[in-house]
Formats: sequence, structure tokens, C-alpha cells
Amino acid sequence: MTDIRRQRRGDKGARQAHIGQRVARSGCWRVGSLPLAIVLLCACAWLAFVLWFPKPPPKPDATWLHILESGAFRVGLDPSFPPFESDDATGNLYGLDIALANELAREWSRANETPIHVEFVYSGFDGLYDALKAQQFDAIISALPYDPKKTEDVYFSHAYFNSGPHLIVRADDATTQTYYDLQGKAVGVELGSSGDAFARRWQRRLKLDLRTYHTPTDALRALRAGQVDAVFTDLIAFNDFAQSTGGVKQVGDALANEFLVIAVRKDSPTLLAQINTVIDAMKQDGRMERLYAEWLVK
Amino acid sequence: MGDGVKIRLGALSPIRVWSSRVMRALQVVALVALLYALAAPPPILVTLGPQRIVHTTNPKIGVHTRVTDEVDEWKIKKNFEMVREMGASWVVEYFPWEYIENEEGTFDWSHADLVVNHARRQGLTVIARLGFVPRWARPKDSVTSYLDEARYPAFAHFVTEFARHFEGRVQHIIIWNEPNLNFEWGYRGVDPASYTRMLQAVYPRVKAAVPTAQILAGALAPTLAPPGTPDAMNDLDYLQAMYAAGAREYFDALAIHAYGWTAPADEPPAPRRINFRRAELLREIMLQNGDASKHALITEGGWNDHPRWTKAVHPAERITYTLRAYDLCQAWDWLDACALWAFRYPFPAQSYLDYFTFVTPEFDPKPIYYEVQKYAVR
Repeated sequence: MTDIRRQRRGDKGARQAHIGQRVARSGCWRVGSLPLAIVLLCACAWLAFVLWFPKPPPKPDATWLHILESGAFRVGLDPSFPPFESDDATGNLYGLDIALANELAREWSRANETPIHVEFVYSGFDGLYDALKAQQFDAIISALPYDPKKTEDVYFSHAYFNSGPHLIVRADDATTQTYYDLQGKAVGVELGSSGDAFARRWQRRLKLDLRTYHTPTDALRALRAGQVDAVFTDLIAFNDFAQSTGGVKQVGDALANEFLVIAVRKDSPTLLAQINTVIDAMKQDGRMERLYAEWLVK
Repeated sequence: MGDGVKIRLGALSPIRVWSSRVMRALQVVALVALLYALAAPPPILVTLGPQRIVHTTNPKIGVHTRVTDEVDEWKIKKNFEMVREMGASWVVEYFPWEYIENEEGTFDWSHADLVVNHARRQGLTVIARLGFVPRWARPKDSVTSYLDEARYPAFAHFVTEFARHFEGRVQHIIIWNEPNLNFEWGYRGVDPASYTRMLQAVYPRVKAAVPTAQILAGALAPTLAPPGTPDAMNDLDYLQAMYAAGAREYFDALAIHAYGWTAPADEPPAPRRINFRRAELLREIMLQNGDASKHALITEGGWNDHPRWTKAVHPAERITYTLRAYDLCQAWDWLDACALWAFRYPFPAQSYLDYFTFVTPEFDPKPIYYEVQKYAVR
């Protein structure tokens, strides 16, 4: 082997070693260090941004400020839904929602030491959301059902009433605690109501003997007469019957939730918080129960 | 340690270097294959399934479905399965002209085929409602219900192609929808004579191409609009005006919209009342115009049980009236089908309209669904 050949062979060996090192190094970089470095760099940059540029303070809630300044809380409603909102021949509004709106204003007046009154703005029920968005009023209080699909557009308050079906049994029934206890028993519902829909969902599993009636009152009468073992109906029908006729009682929580809520625009977070504060307080101190007793029982 | 590596790597042969490159190439190929497999459309999971038949005691029961805007095939199939299981034999479905002939002369039947094939496989008879003017067939900035008379031949051509494409699968075709309403007539003044000219443009061409096709006219909105109202024309007056304009020879059957609003199904008909039996008044006008041999089909109608809408009834009333309406339809020998509005919406309307349906968008049957089912298989 000549020197030149030996030299060439040596060069080739060195080149191969260099390639091998590059493979090893590049593999090492590819797998671990470079992405980690990028992540760390990004994290540092984000941290620096957050520290050096703190979030600006939230914009003041113009709706709430306007309520305080003007002393007027504008409430949108469709007054065609007793016992929540109706108007009489002279245009006087009455109902649970009216009383609730007035209670909100009264509470805010006291807390802010400034008089606030409610201005009711009429709207068709289907147009309430659009009218709220168009700033024709500050909030919707109109037996409005909670609708998860609307949460992109508005804020909903805490629920102030659950209009879903409840389990009603005879007053002397000590055994029925939940609808699970109704296995094989006769259940009465108003045909087509949400109580009916709930009963049909459970009918096969609980082997319910489902009996439909044209009104919830008919179903409750059948319960009292011993023709059915339980009734699934809402609290308005129950309260009405319990007061006028009696002999029945409500057991447990709602079978299905149908919450009634107040809606405000998304630029009104302070107003929402103020509404929630009052609703929570009313639930705590019994004022809400008194409103139910006043308006939901004939 | 570094020396050790050098010694080992220094001994790397050309074969090992090349095999390393080949391995890397294989890894790339495997990655590409994996990405392709992930990106490729999934295998077809929804098939037409076996041929079904409708079991019902009242073969006139029908519903207007809303699968035009339904993308997922399984939902289209599920719709029609549930319609069949409810005991309904007829479905009315909307086939928008613009969806099918988006460019003049180019027809895309894919979605319409999907709808019709699934409906037929469930044993249902499809009534096709045609309308919705494509951009190319109307002036700029006009609405989809606007069709100039100069474009009637284009619409007639579309209807003919529709009848030809679906020959043997769809026989009943409704020409337009509620032309007695301003907004369904391109926000122009309603014009029964012009609608009649539309029928005159469509009917001969379709019948020449597909003699078995049944052209349905009317589909008028029940309304008590007084004469001269810009928004609408009384449906009874409109039908009479159609006859006066010479419509009689240009349709095979009358499509009727029979909404009950707050009245029970049995409430007697009267010209100044909107109720279900108003259909009988339309029938009377057919008889007065010597059209006794023609039949009618109810292609929309029914009741709404929204808790707040002024034209709604209680859920129990809605169910009772609906079942009674199906009974009435069965007794009317001049009526072939009773398709009520609407089986299900693909998404919530978030208004009173949601309370016309039999099934929720999530396919949860409402009590009315079960009651119709019980009625139909009694």
C-alpha cells in the first residue's frame, strides 16, 4: 500500500467518523434539546410579556353605571304569561317577575343610597333577545328559560325558579321518596307536558303504568282519588292544587331542570353580579319563598 | 468517553451509514402513510339498509321533514327511520333549486339522491317542494323567492330535469311555496295570474318529459289578509283568482296548508276563520271551478304548543287535535296525504317554531310522536 493510498484511506476513515458524529449529534438535537429550548424560550417570552404588560383593568359596566346615574332599571318582558307577568285592563303589570324586578331595584336603591325604579319595556317573547342586544332594555325578566345555546350571546343569572316537573304523591304516602320508588306503579301526567316526556323516558325501565290527563289538575285529582300513585307536574300546578284542594305533597328535587333566569348583555358583568347577589340573598333570607307564595298560588 | 465514541464511530462502515439513511427514509415513508391514513375519508358506515315498509292504520299520515340542510347521512337516514316507525307514509321535503343547479345547466343531484333514496328505502312516498331561485336566475340583490317571468322557462327546465332524474322515485312535485305571501313572492305584490303563468310554463314541459309526474299547485298560506293588503292575499281569493287566470289545466292536484292555530281540528270551516278544516273551503273552490276529479294533498299544517306564542295550544290539545286531524284526513276521499309541519329541525330555531316538531334536533321523540305512533299502529 502506497503512502498516497494510506492517506486516502485515512481521509475516508476520518470522513466516516465525522458523519457518524453528525448523525449522533443531530439525533440528540432532534429528539430533545432543540424543542425543549424553544418551549423554554416561549415560556420566558410569555412570562416577560405578562410581567411587563399587565392586563388593562376591565372596562366599567356602562349599563350598571347608567342604572345608577339615571335611577332607571329597564326590564324587557312579554306580559302574557301569568302568574309570572300579565297586565290588567288598565295596563297595570303584575306577577312574580314584576315583583322580582321591583325587589332588585329596591335592594340596589338601599345598597347604593340612590333611588332606582324599574321601567318595564314590552316586547314579543321571541323578540326579547334581539331587543336586549339592541339596548332597548338592560335585562330580560320574563319567565325566561335557561338556554345553553344562548350563552354565547348573553349572560344568564342564577336561577330564581325551577319550572321542571316534580314528583307529587299523596300526603299520607310515606314510602315514595324518589321516582325510583315507583317501580310498577301508576303515574299520572298532563299529556304532552315535560312531566309526560320524563315519564315516557323511564316507563320501560321502571315498568310505569303511565296515565295521561288533559290538565295537571285532572292528574292531581286522580292522585288524590287513589287512581294513580304519583304525578309528575310543575310546582305551579302543584301549589295551586295543594292550596285549593290539598291532600298531596311534593317529594324531592325537580325530576328535570327547567330553570328560569334573567338575561343581560355580555357587556354588563357588574349588572349580572348585582342581580346574582340579590337573588342569592332572597333565596337565603326567605324572600324568594314569600314571592312564590304570593304569586304562584292562586 | 469522547475517545470511546470516536473509536466506535470511526469504525462505521459505508454499509452502516447507508442502512441508517435507508432506515430514516423508511421512517419518513411510514409517517407519510400514517398521515394519509388519518386524513383519508373514513369507510362508509351508513348504508341504505334493507327495504322497509310502513305499518300504519292510516296510510294518509305524513310529515314535512327538514333534511335539506342536514349534512350527515346518518341523520338523514335516522329521520326517515323515525318517520316510518311513527307510522307515517308520506314525507314532504324541500329541494332548493339553487342547491341543485348552482350553475346554469349544471346539476348536482348528490344530496337530493341521498334524501330520496333513504326515504324510499324506509318505504316512504316523497313529495318534493321546489323553489329557491339561484343567483344566476335572478337580479343582483334580489331574494331567493324572486323569479322574473322571463326566467320561468329556466325554472320549468329545472323542474323537468328534476322530474326526469327522479322518474319512478318521486312523482309529486309542488311548484313554489305560499305564493300568496309577499315574502314568498320576491317581496313583490302577490300575483295569482303570474303564478298561473308559472304553472303554464312548467306543466307542459314536465308532462311531455315525464307523463306520470304529478304537478301540485297552490301550497297557499292560510291568511285572512283583507283585499289590498301588500303583505299577503287571502288564500281562498288567491285560489279563485288562479282559476280565473286559467290555472285549471296546469296542475294535477292542489297542495294545501292546513294550520289549526288555536282551533280544534273539528271546528267547522268559515271564510273568516283560520282552522284545520279551512282545507274544505279550498276544496269547495275546486268544485265550483269544475275540478272535482282532482285530488288534494295537505303538505303543511298542524298545531304548535309553545308556552308563550299567541297562536299556540297546550301540548295535550296539540296531540288531541293532531290525531283528530289525521282521522279527518282519512275520511276525506278527495285527499291523498296529510303531511303536517314539521317532523324535526336539524338545529333549534330558538323560537316558537321549535314547538311545531315531533322530534327534537337530538332525535328525542316528544310525547306527540309516541301518541301518533300509538294511533297509527292501534
